[in-house]
Amino acid sequence: MPQTDTHTIIDPEHHDGTSDATPGGEPTQRRPGELAFGAFLLIGSLALLWNAYGIAGFEALSSPGAIPMATSFVMVVTAALVLLRTSRLPPDRTETISRDILPPVVLIFAALLIGYGVLLRPLGFLPTSLLFLVISIKLLSRRSWAWVLMISVVCLVVIWLIFRIVFTVLMPPGIVPEAEFIQFFRNMIGGGAS
Amino acid sequence: MDFMTIFTQPQLLLLVGLGTFAGVYVGAIPGLSVTMAVSILISFTFAWDVLPALSLMIGIYMGGVYGGSRTAILLNIPGAPSAIATALDGYPMAQRGEAGTAIGVTTVMSFLGGFIGIAVLALAAPFVSDFALSFQPRDYMLLAVLGILLVGSLSQGSLVKGIFAGALGIAIGAVGRDPLTFSERFTFDLTIMQSGISFIAVMIGMFGVSEALAQLHHVDKEAVRQKIDRIVPSWATVKKHLPLSLQTSTIGVVIGALPGTGGDIAALMAYDHAKRVTKNPERPFGDGAIEGLVAPETANNAAVGGAFIPMMTLGIPGDAVTAIMIGALFIHGLNPGPMLMVEQPNMFWFIVGALVTANFFMLLFGLTGIRLFTKIVEMPRSVLIPMIMLLSIVGAYAVNNSITDVYWMLAFGLFGYFMRHYGYPLGPVILGVILSRLLDDNWRRAIISEREDLGAFFMGIFTSPLSLVLFLAVIFIFVSQTPAWAWFKGRVFGRRAA
Repeated sequence: MPQTDTHTIIDPEHHDGTSDATPGGEPTQRRPGELAFGAFLLIGSLALLWNAYGIAGFEALSSPGAIPMATSFVMVVTAALVLLRTSRLPPDRTETISRDILPPVVLIFAALLIGYGVLLRPLGFLPTSLLFLVISIKLLSRRSWAWVLMISVVCLVVIWLIFRIVFTVLMPPGIVPEAEFIQFFRNMIGGGAS
Repeated sequence: MDFMTIFTQPQLLLLVGLGTFAGVYVGAIPGLSVTMAVSILISFTFAWDVLPALSLMIGIYMGGVYGGSRTAILLNIPGAPSAIATALDGYPMAQRGEAGTAIGVTTVMSFLGGFIGIAVLALAAPFVSDFALSFQPRDYMLLAVLGILLVGSLSQGSLVKGIFAGALGIAIGAVGRDPLTFSERFTFDLTIMQSGISFIAVMIGMFGVSEALAQLHHVDKEAVRQKIDRIVPSWATVKKHLPLSLQTSTIGVVIGALPGTGGDIAALMAYDHAKRVTKNPERPFGDGAIEGLVAPETANNAAVGGAFIPMMTLGIPGDAVTAIMIGALFIHGLNPGPMLMVEQPNMFWFIVGALVTANFFMLLFGLTGIRLFTKIVEMPRSVLIPMIMLLSIVGAYAVNNSITDVYWMLAFGLFGYFMRHYGYPLGPVILGVILSRLLDDNWRRAIISEREDLGAFFMGIFTSPLSLVLFLAVIFIFVSQTPAWAWFKGRVFGRRAA
């Protein structure tokens, strides 16, 4: 019985970037930045191996450092193999870093996400999320500010109602007196009973 | 609590229904994957009781595996990897104005496949579990290695990259203080590393943020609208394809039950099988053959029941989603494996009951609400992507109310983004993180029981039939990726074909 070769069945054009998808790229060519990423993985793996050796050295096979050492050793070997193979591949001249790997929109979103993380505690969930949604939807949709603001508010209210009220997830309130708001509405709905 | 619990508690029934409904849409919307949804959901259902949390997650899983086929048929974009094969014949059917028939056949066949998968789970799991009680720590260790290797070798990309990803996952899982000796591992003397890295942060980063960032490349892709006619397929159509669906369901259950392989591989293998056994399809494969829908859809839903077998009986995930489900069970104080089956058999029967219910809900939602569905699926990516990112942040924060987890999640999101672009599979990373503890504990138990003698450890493998089978399977995966094996395969199969 012939083996199933998934590569003959999968048409990359049909694949959408979900789960294990590799967006773009040819297996026979080196993508821009691939060599640098491979080198980064090798250096990182060597650092992990050194750290794992520091746990218990070669003290015993059952020592707490045994699996970390074995694991990081496997990482070093496989990262070196990948780097070697990658270095032998011809570069893909049709792709560039700024267009196919790290376009400005991805860099902007990475910065927005980091900014969100920084502002979450001081500003609170609601203002930070609204700011994030407005900026990101405006950037991606290029629609009018009124449309963007309306969609952002609707999205935020839906997320907040589901996760704050249904799932009772506690997010940092920051500058918004969220608990007082909820209590106010509860009192209004329950006629002040609660 | 048993098989009937789900049917007697309206709240749980509602949650399964809600989960399945949400799953169908999550699976269908390109850019939202079931793995992503379940990982984000774990953080939100963290404080819930185990039964409601499981009901919701099982619904999402079952609905999501099916939902991916919808967009595969209507837009030629598989909503989930398990629907890749469905697009090959589903979309040509839709282009000819047979989208309704394609969706109807897909729904009924998914139901049938799902039912067979659950039946096999119910019948086989207790036996596998009894058998698993005789497993030695060495066998568990080998099983964990096998699972990680299988994911690495069968997912896209090379085996070497898959092994790297699996090893990276094990290393991430080892970060923090060793639970036995309290030694620091991979902490680099940083206080924040001592308590380890939350696997939920890793999961959401890898599957949520990295996917959302990758979707930014396709933000301008426009959805194509399709006309939908009759949905419910005729009995004659179902009856005609019943033999094929039974064969491909069997493929689905077996592939799903193998540690590390899931619905995507099952669907592709079933499609390949259908191509070989169907002598005279009404239309050629790739041009709208109904058999090309029946095979992958029965197989990927049958794989759901199959994937639960190693998860419930051995504590080894069948695929990335069951890896996350194991995480959810851990969070709720349950330890999947043969002892769970012995100590809490009711929990197993509850899960079977929830799967059966979700399968019925899937049939119901699959055959109704198509108009609402087309509206929701056409949600612009410019709104969807920021929503996914926001949900990922909320999810990562919610588990420990910790901003550190958000930073971990973002870091793994960016790292996962580059891994995707350079062909490193992400599934083995998650499997590695989940299995890290099991691997470490069982290695130490096994080697201590052999008095630290590596020779005796390997001799033990050759004297135990089970260990030997597992060991040979691990070796086979390595050998099957070498040029020598490709040469051998070419010689043998080439000669047969001639």
